[in-house]
Amino acid sequence: MAELRRDPITGRWVIIEIDKAKNPTDYEAEKRVKREGICPFCPGNEKMTPPEIFAYRDGDTKPNAPGWQTRVIPNKFPALRVEGNLDRIGVGMFDMMNGIGAHEVIIENPDHNRELCDLMDQEVEQVLWSYRNRCLDLKGDKRFKYILIFKNYGVSAGASLEHPHSQLIALPIIPKRVVEELRWAERYFEYRDRCVFCDMIHQEIDERERVIAENKSFIAFAPFVSRFPFEFTIFPKIHSAEFSYIQKEEVVDLARILKETLLRMKLALKDPSYNFIVHTSPIDAKERADYHWHIEVMPRMGRSAGFEWGTGFYLNPTPPEIAAWALREVSL
Amino acid sequence: MPEFRKDPVIGRWVIVATERARRPSDFVPHSVSEEGASEPPCPFCEGKEDQTPPPEIFAIRNPGTKPGSPGWQVRVVPSVSPVLKIEGKIERHGRGIYDVINGVGAHEIIIETPQHIYNMADLPEEQIANSITAWIERMTDLGRDPRFKYAMLFKNYGLAAGSGKIRHAHSQLIAMPVNPIRLKDELVGSRQYFEYKERCIFCDIIKQEMDTGKRIVADIDGFIAFAPFASRFPFEMWVLPKKHSADFSSLPRDKRSDLARILKVVLTKLKKALVDPPYNIILHTAPFRMPKAGYWKTIDEDFHWHLEIMPRLTRVAGFEWGSGFYINPTPPEDAAKYLSEMEP
Repeated sequence: MAELRRDPITGRWVIIEIDKAKNPTDYEAEKRVKREGICPFCPGNEKMTPPEIFAYRDGDTKPNAPGWQTRVIPNKFPALRVEGNLDRIGVGMFDMMNGIGAHEVIIENPDHNRELCDLMDQEVEQVLWSYRNRCLDLKGDKRFKYILIFKNYGVSAGASLEHPHSQLIALPIIPKRVVEELRWAERYFEYRDRCVFCDMIHQEIDERERVIAENKSFIAFAPFVSRFPFEFTIFPKIHSAEFSYIQKEEVVDLARILKETLLRMKLALKDPSYNFIVHTSPIDAKERADYHWHIEVMPRMGRSAGFEWGTGFYLNPTPPEIAAWALREVSL
Repeated sequence: MPEFRKDPVIGRWVIVATERARRPSDFVPHSVSEEGASEPPCPFCEGKEDQTPPPEIFAIRNPGTKPGSPGWQVRVVPSVSPVLKIEGKIERHGRGIYDVINGVGAHEIIIETPQHIYNMADLPEEQIANSITAWIERMTDLGRDPRFKYAMLFKNYGLAAGSGKIRHAHSQLIAMPVNPIRLKDELVGSRQYFEYKERCIFCDIIKQEMDTGKRIVADIDGFIAFAPFASRFPFEMWVLPKKHSADFSSLPRDKRSDLARILKVVLTKLKKALVDPPYNIILHTAPFRMPKAGYWKTIDEDFHWHLEIMPRLTRVAGFEWGSGFYINPTPPEDAAKYLSEMEP
């Protein structure tokens, strides 16, 4: 028997298979083929990338030379251009804008073969500080409304380069999924005067069966309405709408929980391709009481059925309760 | 310069890369006909009727032949691995802040040909028209069940498009107690447009596409196929009846062969231009109105059924899943040009 569950954040229904649920071993592991050739993100090859925007470096080293720990550069093949004014145009009944935006790459560490989950806590912290620094800088640009931070790991997740990296896109629009989240969260808040995410976190802490990891400031759980097998979300436990307001102690805790959950996922699911995406509130002055930032992590297990595209309706063969159990049980 | 384009119906922004636009030859060909050598024995072929779960729900058969035996053109059977169960009452309950419904629904397979052919593009027109008849019959029947709100009709062609191991041409129908969110967005978007303009947004889109002409792929016998202005995917296409109609299942018998003709044309163009790519087809039509009579007051006037055809040429990166925001490397104008010039 299956169950239809409705996501309280977006109103989306998902079919979750309960009786014939798939376990981690029911999925075929993806083969990782090491790529040949020169890596433009490795130390010594700094000249192969556009000039760096920001880096954590050893004291006496120069920009665009070795000696960095984390390095941020413009994407060499950007989806958007950073120069120019924003022009909005109507073409008959259609609306369009020129493609203004920033598209940056965060090279997470100099070592080609060390992924986020293999790094020291402090190294992960540095990646998070880089995210935060770039957000704060780009927020000052009046043209932008939203900053999207994400990571694609593995070929199935859309990564075109192997060297550990994440990406950031600053946009003059708010993506549709974010608009939906904001709208539903606002509605919930109007009715109850509480943040829907805070309520969700409370319920997850009470029930525990979907919780994967927890520390002082953060909790990671498989959402009750997971669209994908082994999907999980990391939330700050204290209400905060905006990622870039993160405090020093929180960065420490976030680095720890991110590393731990990614490592659990790697071990339990045999190094799957995955995506993560930081959901935060749009760039505006006010701190929203109704929104709560979070990181959504989606391993790519199996293929999507196809109709998800056209309908926004998902079918998940692994209930989040089983996913959380499998990720929790793996010994680190 | 890349462009942001907004889907006028649901308001989703898409980045369309106008520089370094990718042509058909830029995509690594992934030909479905060359997929997987190890094909299991086909349960959908004529003569293998006993290998699909009984009962045969519907069939177009030669006179004198019995259900569950050879002699059919199109056959509808229950899914071998249904995601929803047909028996039972709909039970809604809350679990803390979450909402749950038990998994009641129908999951049916429409076998589109008795022969072992993979791609709908390779079926004769009459055979596609038979499939259309089967779709309509099944949707009409399921619409009488007050438990269901929507029947989702779709087709997955090729492994990358989510098809299973059975490669014999087939489509699927899932009847559900809820409306899918994308459809709801469309229904709400087109109702809002109608409230403001008292016109159907899709009729307006068709009119503008016909005026500019640059995104049209085919325009045949009352149907139009074009690459939508805010295409999410390279070579994405929509097929619509030019005459306003909200409900696909009301398509008159004599128009089914016309729809079959344009479908065959566009699928053949796609097959030739992109070397037999994987694709999905999804029908967007008015929901069943019986369970919520009175709610969709103006739907007959404000909504317009259509088929979405989405070739699977690129991997969708994570941020597209998470953000609902897409980057399309092939402008729809270029896609339409390649496809319209391709001989069917």
